[in-house]
Amino acid sequence: MLRWRTATAAVAITAALALSSCAADTGSTQGGGGTLTLGAIVAPTTFDPAGSEWGNRAPFYQAVYDTLLLATSEGEIEPFLAESFEYNDDNTVLTLTIRDDVTFTDGSKLDADVVKQNLERFQTGTSPDAGYFAGITSVEAPDATTVVITLAAPDPAMLNYLTRDPGLIASAEALADPDSLATDPVGSGPYVLDTAATVTGTSYTYTKNPDYWNPDLQHYDTLTINVLADATAGLNAIKAGEVNGIKLASNDNLAEVEGAGWTVNANELDFQGLLLLDRAGTMSEPLSDVRVRQAINYAFDREALLTALQSDHGTVTGQVFPESSPAFDPALDERYPYDPEKAKDLLAEAGYADGFTLSMPSSTVLGSTTYTLLSQQLADIGITAEYTDPGNNFIADLLAPKFPASFMALEQNPDWQLIQFMIAPNSVFNPFKYADPQVDEYLAQIQAGDEATQAEVAKQLNEYIVEQAWFAPFYRVQNSVPTDANTSVEMMPTNVYPAIYDFQPKG
Amino acid sequence: MLPFVLRRLASGVVLVFVISVIAYALLYLGGGDIARRILGQNATDDVVAQKAADLGLDQPLLTQYFDWLTSAFGGDLGRSWFTGQLVAVSVSSRLAVTLSIVIGATIIAAIVAVVLGVLAARRGGWIDNVVQFVSVIGFAIPGFLIALVLVLVFAINLGLFKATGYVPFASSPSGWITSVTLPVVALSIGAIATVAQQVRGSVLDALSRDYVRTLRSRGLSTNRVVYKHVLRNAGGPALAVLAVQFIGLLGAAVIVEQIFALPGLGQLAVQATGAGDIPVVMGVVIVSAIIVVIVNLLIDLAQAALNPKVRLS
Repeated sequence: MLRWRTATAAVAITAALALSSCAADTGSTQGGGGTLTLGAIVAPTTFDPAGSEWGNRAPFYQAVYDTLLLATSEGEIEPFLAESFEYNDDNTVLTLTIRDDVTFTDGSKLDADVVKQNLERFQTGTSPDAGYFAGITSVEAPDATTVVITLAAPDPAMLNYLTRDPGLIASAEALADPDSLATDPVGSGPYVLDTAATVTGTSYTYTKNPDYWNPDLQHYDTLTINVLADATAGLNAIKAGEVNGIKLASNDNLAEVEGAGWTVNANELDFQGLLLLDRAGTMSEPLSDVRVRQAINYAFDREALLTALQSDHGTVTGQVFPESSPAFDPALDERYPYDPEKAKDLLAEAGYADGFTLSMPSSTVLGSTTYTLLSQQLADIGITAEYTDPGNNFIADLLAPKFPASFMALEQNPDWQLIQFMIAPNSVFNPFKYADPQVDEYLAQIQAGDEATQAEVAKQLNEYIVEQAWFAPFYRVQNSVPTDANTSVEMMPTNVYPAIYDFQPKG
Repeated sequence: MLPFVLRRLASGVVLVFVISVIAYALLYLGGGDIARRILGQNATDDVVAQKAADLGLDQPLLTQYFDWLTSAFGGDLGRSWFTGQLVAVSVSSRLAVTLSIVIGATIIAAIVAVVLGVLAARRGGWIDNVVQFVSVIGFAIPGFLIALVLVLVFAINLGLFKATGYVPFASSPSGWITSVTLPVVALSIGAIATVAQQVRGSVLDALSRDYVRTLRSRGLSTNRVVYKHVLRNAGGPALAVLAVQFIGLLGAAVIVEQIFALPGLGQLAVQATGAGDIPVVMGVVIVSAIIVVIVNLLIDLAQAALNPKVRLS
C-alpha cells in the first residue's frame, strides 16, 4: 500500500507546484530591465579566437572579445583596440597603435605583445578563416603600443579582416591554456561569459563587464544568446516574447512575425544562383565555351525563381558583387534577361544544338523545389541536369572538385575579400583554379592601386566576369533579423548578424 | 539473486561494448570529410588538412577507435569537435534535462494509465469504451503535433508555461516546472495510451483466472481481490511495458526537445550526429546504452520482487 500513498503524494506535490508556478512565474522569464535576449541559428564551435568564425557566430565572440578595428553599421572601418592604423606607401606594412587603457577580464593588460601573439595564433590556427592571414610574412611588436604587420603583397581586405574574427584579441594568460579558452573565453569585451548559467551549444549568458574601457557600447546589464536552429522554435520564441531580437533561419513566416508586433530589420548579403566553376571545360567540355555559359544565364526566369523559392523576399541580380560595392553596376542586372530562344541559339552556335548533360550536386537542405525548377528551366534550352546528393559532403565534394557546376548560396563580401573568396585563381570557390589573363591583370591593378583605382578596376572586373558568365546569379536573398517593440538594431552591410553593440533599448 | 544480477550486468557490459563498435563504424560509413564540415565553406584546403591531423582523422579507423576506447575506459570521453566542450560535461548537463522530462512523463504515464486501465477493466461498459477511444486517439496522434498544440495554447495564448528553453531546478524550482510541464505532457500522452491498454488487458486477464474465482468464493471483496492480488499479477507485464515506454520516450524526447528548444540529450544527439561530431555522438550512445541496460536490470529486479516465479527462470 505504501507505493500507492507515495504516488498520490507525488501527484499532489506536482499539482501544487504547477499551480503555484502559474501564479508566480509568468512573464518574469522575459527580457526587459537591462537584459537583452537574442536568438541565433548556430552556436560557436569554440571560444578560442584562433578557431573562431564570423557570420552567424559573430555575436558570441563580440560579447566577450574586442576586435582590433571596428566595422560600423554605416559600412566604415574605425579604430577600436587599435586607436590608429596606417599603411606604408606600397601598402605592404600596416602599423597599428594599440590602446594602453584596456584591461582583460582576468586583470591582465592589453599590449602590443598580446596582439602579436593573437595574430600569430590565428594565422597558424584552425579557424575556417585562417587563410585570411596567409599573406602575412611577419608580425612585430617593437614597443608596448605598436604592432607592425608585414605583408608579402598588398591585401586590400586586411583592414576589414581585422574588424572580424582574425582581429579578436584574448588575454595572453588565457592563451596559455587553449583547452580552457575553448569554453571559457577571457577577453576585454563589453560582457563576460557566465559559464555557470551557460549550456554550451544551446544558451549563452553574459554579464556586463564592470571595467569595460568603452562603456558607450554597453546597452544592457545582461546578454543572453539562445541557439534556436529550428524555425518553429524560433517563431514560438518570438510569439511568446522570449527573445528581443533573432536571426531567422528563413523568410517563410515574416507575416506572422510582423503580426506579433515585431519590426523586421533586413539586408541582403548572400546571392543564390549557379556557380559555373569548370570554365576550362576539364570535366564538362561545353562549359569552356563562353556562349554556353551565357546561354545558361539566359535560361533562367529570375523573377519567377525569386517568387517561387523566396516568396519575393530578395532582389533579382545578375552579378556577384553586392549593391554596397563600388564594383556594383545596376545595368549588369539587365545583361541576361530571360530569353530561352536566345539561349538555344547560343547553344547551337557553340555546337550544342542537341544540348548536353550537366552534372551537379543537390542538397536536401535547399529543398527539392529548387532543383526541380532549375532542371525545368535548363531542360527548356536543351540542357539535362543530372543531380547527385553528396549528403554531408556537399561542400567537400563541390570543392574537391567533383562537379563542374552547382546551385549555391555565397556570401557577397567587400570587394577584395569577395575576390579572394570566389574569383582569384587560388580562391576557395574557384576549385578548378581557373585563371584568365584579363582577370589576373585586373586583380594586380586592384591589389596595388589606391582606393580610386580599386573602385574603378573592380567595376571593370565585375563587368568582365558578367560578360564571361563565370556565374549565373539569380537573386540576393533577404536576411531578416526581427526585433520586438522594445528593441532597435542597425543591420551591418557586411555581416549576416548585426553587431551586438547596435542592439539598443527603444527609448 | 546475486548471480542473476551479476549475469545481467556482464551481458550489459558486452552489449555496451558491441554498441560502441557498431556506432563508431556507422559514424564512419556516413562520415566523409569531417574536418571540412567543421570548418565550413570558407576554409582553405591547408587549414582543413591541419584540422584533420589535429583530430587524428588522418589515422586508420581501427587506430582511432582504439584510441577512443582506451581513453573512454579511463573515463575520458574527449572533447566535442564542434564546441570544444568536454563530452562528459556536455552529456551529464543534458542528461538532467532529458531525464527530467522522460522520468516525469513515465511517472505520469504510470499513474494515469493504471487508474484508467483498472477503471476500464473493472467497470466495463461506457467507461471502458471511453478509455479505449481516448487510448486509440492518444496512440494515433503524433507526439510532435500534441507538443505544437500545447505550445500554442498554454505557452503562447495563455502564457502559463515557457515555449522554449529550460530552467534548471536548482536555479528556480517554479521556473523548472514551467519549462518541463508541456514537454512532459506531450511525451506522456502516447505512453499513457499504450500502458493503459496493457493494464486493462492484464487486469481483465487476471480477473478471469481461477485463483480470482477461488478468492471470491472465500468471500473476499472485489476491491480487495483487485488491489491485493490481481494488480500484483497484472503489475509484471505492465512494468515491462512501462520500461519499454521509458526507453521509447528517450527516443521520442528527441523531437520534443527540438520543438521546445530544450538542451537535452536528444537535441545533443541530433546536432552531433548531423554534424559528424563523433566524440559527442559516442558519448551520447554509450550513456544511453548504459541507461537502457540499467533500466532493464531494475525492471527485472522489480518483477522478481513482485513475482517470485521470475527469480527461478
